[in-house]
Amino acid sequence: MTLLTVTSLTKSFGTQTVVDNLSFSIEEHTSTALIGPNGAGKTTTLSMLTGLLKQTSGSISMEGINDIRRVIGFLPQYPQFYSWLTALEYTEMTAKLSGVEVKKARMQSQKILEYVGLGAALHKKTATFSGGMKQRLGIAQALVHQPKLLLLDEPVSALDPVGRREIMNLLKEIQNETTILYSTHILNDAEEMTDQLLFLRGGKLVERGSLKEVRTRFDEPRIKIQFSSPSEALQFTSQSELPATTEGSVVFVDIVLDQPTMQQLLNHLANSPFTVEKVERVTASLEDIFMKVALDHESV
Amino acid sequence: MSQFSVLVQKELRESWRSFKLLWIPLVFILLGVSDPLLNYFMMDILKAVGGMPEGFEMVMPEFTPADILAASTGQFQSVGLIVLITAFVGSVSRERQNGTATLLYVRPISYVSLFLSKWVVAVLVAIVSIVAGYAASTYYTIILYGTVEWDRFFAMVGTYIIWICLVMAITLAMSASFKTVVAATITIILVLVGLIIDSFIGSFWSVSPWKLANFALALLSDYYDKTDFVITLGLSIGLIVLFIIIGIVMSKRNASTTKI
Repeated sequence: MTLLTVTSLTKSFGTQTVVDNLSFSIEEHTSTALIGPNGAGKTTTLSMLTGLLKQTSGSISMEGINDIRRVIGFLPQYPQFYSWLTALEYTEMTAKLSGVEVKKARMQSQKILEYVGLGAALHKKTATFSGGMKQRLGIAQALVHQPKLLLLDEPVSALDPVGRREIMNLLKEIQNETTILYSTHILNDAEEMTDQLLFLRGGKLVERGSLKEVRTRFDEPRIKIQFSSPSEALQFTSQSELPATTEGSVVFVDIVLDQPTMQQLLNHLANSPFTVEKVERVTASLEDIFMKVALDHESV
Repeated sequence: MSQFSVLVQKELRESWRSFKLLWIPLVFILLGVSDPLLNYFMMDILKAVGGMPEGFEMVMPEFTPADILAASTGQFQSVGLIVLITAFVGSVSRERQNGTATLLYVRPISYVSLFLSKWVVAVLVAIVSIVAGYAASTYYTIILYGTVEWDRFFAMVGTYIIWICLVMAITLAMSASFKTVVAATITIILVLVGLIIDSFIGSFWSVSPWKLANFALALLSDYYDKTDFVITLGLSIGLIVLFIIIGIVMSKRNASTTKI
């Protein structure tokens, strides 16, 4: 079932259009990654979804819901808390403000804080929290009222590798229970947890689809052959008639991957005097695709 | 209503834990005791300090309890107001500037509750401070100068509290409208420069909210025009409502300037 529909969403500041005619929809219980370089309009898009910014034109709708703010949870990139409140007091306050019954608010807050791993810090003031703990508290306040849609702005980019790993694992767990839309410029994260990719560039949606779809669209199968030395690699490239490029002792061969050509290539290698260490088929990483999408549209 | 009480609780916790509810009343108590004590012991202080020419005779004016309370009010009107304004002028704007407001604005909150909760708690802190200040001043006034008429005294404190409600409404409305620094400047101009102007050329008019403190003091004696007082009171209450409405509208309008 479609949870959120965004139609022709546009935001301009003066003459500058930051988000340009953006349309997409999000299915229930899926994760969507909003990818794009800095300044692509990711945060602006999320701000409009949360109602913090009013769009210049276009619409954001959820079926059967008037005030979207009631059913979303939002985690900004750098969440700021009231330093004089404890984690439990803060979460309880946000729960009540989001409409959780007063009686249930405390219990629900306690549960969610334990869930995100802050069980030992319930009564600590947020001023003493580390970056990772703040991010956990941020997730707790976004989840405490059991929102239908969780919006996360760069949820892990400010964290160190350990913190990032922990938060990613937490998000993967949450993914099973709710719908997530998150922005990121860290492509490994997107690769790890996503059903739908939305590529933004210059405020425009330039590419979308599942990771698999996007991959097939952009994939140029290549064969990577690792020789034992650069000179062998160079010799191989000059001898063969294949479209090949050399990078050190590695040769990349761009060919359409079917059985006969593969056979031909392997025969060729077997008969050659060179020491072949590895032959491997490489698929484009999300980073390759990202660069490609970004550059493609730059030249337009 | 429950949202309002949650927000009031939050503001109260802030005032309590940042010690505003402690140090601001303390400042007012200090201001309150300074006039009755200084005036009463002035001769002794001068003698103790010495340096008086031989045969120097000084006649200290005879102060009435009302004179002393007027002097204390003067202190509240200058130092006291600056303390209250600076303590609360960041109430709305600072939360936007440091981004703490973001996580409130993305919830289905009403800006009426949001602004009123801030005003109510600011007024509460101000009232506690003023009552503490006047209590301290009156305590020493009664011991050193003689008693005051209680019904008149309470009428004076009550009237002064209306003036403070207006000052806090202006402070928070400016905080909702502008960045902290700009808000502070405009509030100080509106309130303190307004008071100075009113004291210089205020004899040309008899009704003005800046005269509210003068009316409060006049209530202690009998020299005042009842109609002018009632009109000023009505005008002030009208202005309180107006600034609260400005505050609510501007809080909502400026919500998108919060740091994300």
